Amino acid sequence: MQKTILHLDLDTFFVSVERLINSELKNKPILVGGTSDRGVVAACSYETRGFGVHSGMPMKMARELCPEAVVIRGNAGTYSKHSDLVTEIIKEKVPVFEKSSIDEFYADLSGMDRFFGCYRYASELRRTIMRETGLPISFGLSVNKVVSKVATNEAKPNNQLKVDLGYEKPFLAPLSIKKIPMVGDKTYQILRNLGLRQVRTIQEMPVDVMQRVLGANGKVIWKRANGVDNTPVIPFSDRKSISTERTFDRDTIDVVRLRGILIAMTENLAYQLRRGEKLTACIAVKVRYSDFNTYSKQMRIPYTSADHILIPRILELFNSLYNKRMLVRLVGIRFSHLVPGNYQINLFEDTEEALNLYAAMDRLRERFGDKSVIRASGMGAKTIGRMVNPFNGQPPIILAHRKQ
Amino acid sequence: MKFIVSSTYLLKQLQVLGGVINSSNTLPILDNFLFELKKRKLTVSASDLETTMSAELEVDSDNEGTIAVPARLLLDTLKTFPEQPLTFVVEDNHTVEISSSYGKYALAYADGAEFPKAIELGNPSSTTVMGDILATAITKTIFAAGNDDLRPVMSGVFFQFSSENLTFVATDAHKLVKYKRTDVKASEVAEFIMPKKPLNLLKGILAGSEEEVKIEYNDSNAKFSFDNVELICRLIDGKYPNYEAVIPKENPNKLVISRNHFLSSVRRVSIFSNRTTHQIRLRIAGAELNISAEDIDYSNKAEERLTCSYQGDDMQIGFNSRFLVEMLGNLSSDEVSLELSLPNRAGILTPVDGLDEGEHVTMLVMPVMLNN
Repeated sequence: MQKTILHLDLDTFFVSVERLINSELKNKPILVGGTSDRGVVAACSYETRGFGVHSGMPMKMARELCPEAVVIRGNAGTYSKHSDLVTEIIKEKVPVFEKSSIDEFYADLSGMDRFFGCYRYASELRRTIMRETGLPISFGLSVNKVVSKVATNEAKPNNQLKVDLGYEKPFLAPLSIKKIPMVGDKTYQILRNLGLRQVRTIQEMPVDVMQRVLGANGKVIWKRANGVDNTPVIPFSDRKSISTERTFDRDTIDVVRLRGILIAMTENLAYQLRRGEKLTACIAVKVRYSDFNTYSKQMRIPYTSADHILIPRILELFNSLYNKRMLVRLVGIRFSHLVPGNYQINLFEDTEEALNLYAAMDRLRERFGDKSVIRASGMGAKTIGRMVNPFNGQPPIILAHRKQ
Repeated sequence: MKFIVSSTYLLKQLQVLGGVINSSNTLPILDNFLFELKKRKLTVSASDLETTMSAELEVDSDNEGTIAVPARLLLDTLKTFPEQPLTFVVEDNHTVEISSSYGKYALAYADGAEFPKAIELGNPSSTTVMGDILATAITKTIFAAGNDDLRPVMSGVFFQFSSENLTFVATDAHKLVKYKRTDVKASEVAEFIMPKKPLNLLKGILAGSEEEVKIEYNDSNAKFSFDNVELICRLIDGKYPNYEAVIPKENPNKLVISRNHFLSSVRRVSIFSNRTTHQIRLRIAGAELNISAEDIDYSNKAEERLTCSYQGDDMQIGFNSRFLVEMLGNLSSDEVSLELSLPNRAGILTPVDGLDEGEHVTMLVMPVMLNN
């Protein structure tokens, strides 16, 4: 059956939200992102793009390029609140949707043309969103996710574009190969070195050549260039894993501090598990050194959600992983293989006092917040953890320019 | 070396011994049966290094010798014969020739001297138990033993002999079964942990047996002898956890209920529980037991109500339903009692009726922590 896929993308989302809050910012160059030395640009207004600024660029560089820009630190809580407003409207209006990041949505409108006319329906949806939230949004409409996404990017800013059935290839042909989702800086360089510039050239190439140059990815890129993509719109289902990580302002070699952070992270995630009545059977630790080499190690364990089992295992993983005596840039942990369930008490290892203590601590956290009681060994870690329950049925918040 | 033996008689013995042999062995010789012939007495042994079992057979012969014969090949061949005498002749070219009324079969054999020797027990203590009692004790406890390689002591059954009673205990740290016989006594106080594999073999052979089983044991090995069979196995080394300390003494809440009704309700409800964790919830108030389960992933949900007699405070407790099903299924009484104290302490399951004189069964099941 022929599909109709809609891709919606909020234009310069963080900037738009900031302008909504403070109308003085309208028509001024704005940068949103981290303000420390390590900070990157999370979003930039169209006014700054002329200076060569783009999201993902180090903030330091962006400021040099565009010194007159207003720099805003940004507040993830505010952004996700506005994102939720948009989600609510979309949820109400379309049969199936996928929230692929904080400001991007895919919706499957297949079959709706019989009653409404998909393009008209999508246009009305866009108008509704803009009217009710005050945020500019663009959309692309076509037969699959890839072409729709490219169409949205072409339509921007604050516009809409429909690619008619059968015109996917001609639509893509004149565009730069950089516009294909998946072609990043590196792939772009490889392809440019081959003399490719327009999508048209890829369309005319045999698939084998692409595969020889880029491996399995080459085939996918070739398919995308030809407007072929069969990935379905996946409505959100429950979390498969929970994780947390932290990048340090300054790289550290202080192992005691790293352990403290890991303990605090484990304690916090274990509490999230218990609050969501989940158990984990696979735990992982991630370490990124100052040279950007990233290592992670995971381990299968019997289903559990208890601090006193998880913390020693996490530290054990960290000890076997951290062996370089090098500065560490980032540490993180992840719990996966989640199943609904509660902790099975052990006859010999769990004392009633310890169980009651855990229960009491969890009740305190429930009433007074995640960080009302924490282990002394984890107190050194200031800002880890999350504000929201990861099992509230909402997809995780993914920042604008990050991939899952 | 030559002997004549009845095909079904040999098969019956070999099938019992075959249970010892692992499907994949690091030592190839362990894929064989050891045949030791001494005139009219043929001793057949099988071993996996931990456990060695041997049976003595009467055969027609006047030779002597030892050979190791491939177990799988021999068993597969013997299974196909109807009852008839078979002649085994050891040839010079390292084959043993079997002659049946249908024809001849040659098997390559290995030198009997390569076969690992069974361990001799140095100054053992001993006691005797009726075969059936031992088999029952194993059946009642072995299912509760664990499978965790990290905690080997819990992967076996704990034998505790004293001059007053015999006690058998198995636990995997989540459930525990204690089976006590006060009608059987041992001459000396002894404690050892038996691994599961030989116990499963013994359970199969001894069920319903009226034979006396002689148990000899020292610090590292145990030997069970009965009929013409001898089983020697290595014991699990280590200290068994102090299980008496974890059995709650004060249990103010007592539930008495029909075992069959309880079991079938738990079985039905657990179908609707999560497929990995199998957790169910029991709510007891007044004379009503409410059993419920929910699988949020698939929106499956079940709830049943049973009448029971209950004395104590209203309470709510979560269990892994598989533990309850295993335990209730292992009992044979009409009614069971479940004694509880708190939602985070062990529940004690005991049969109310149907026990022999001197037989005591105590089962412990640990709950799961429920969020209130």
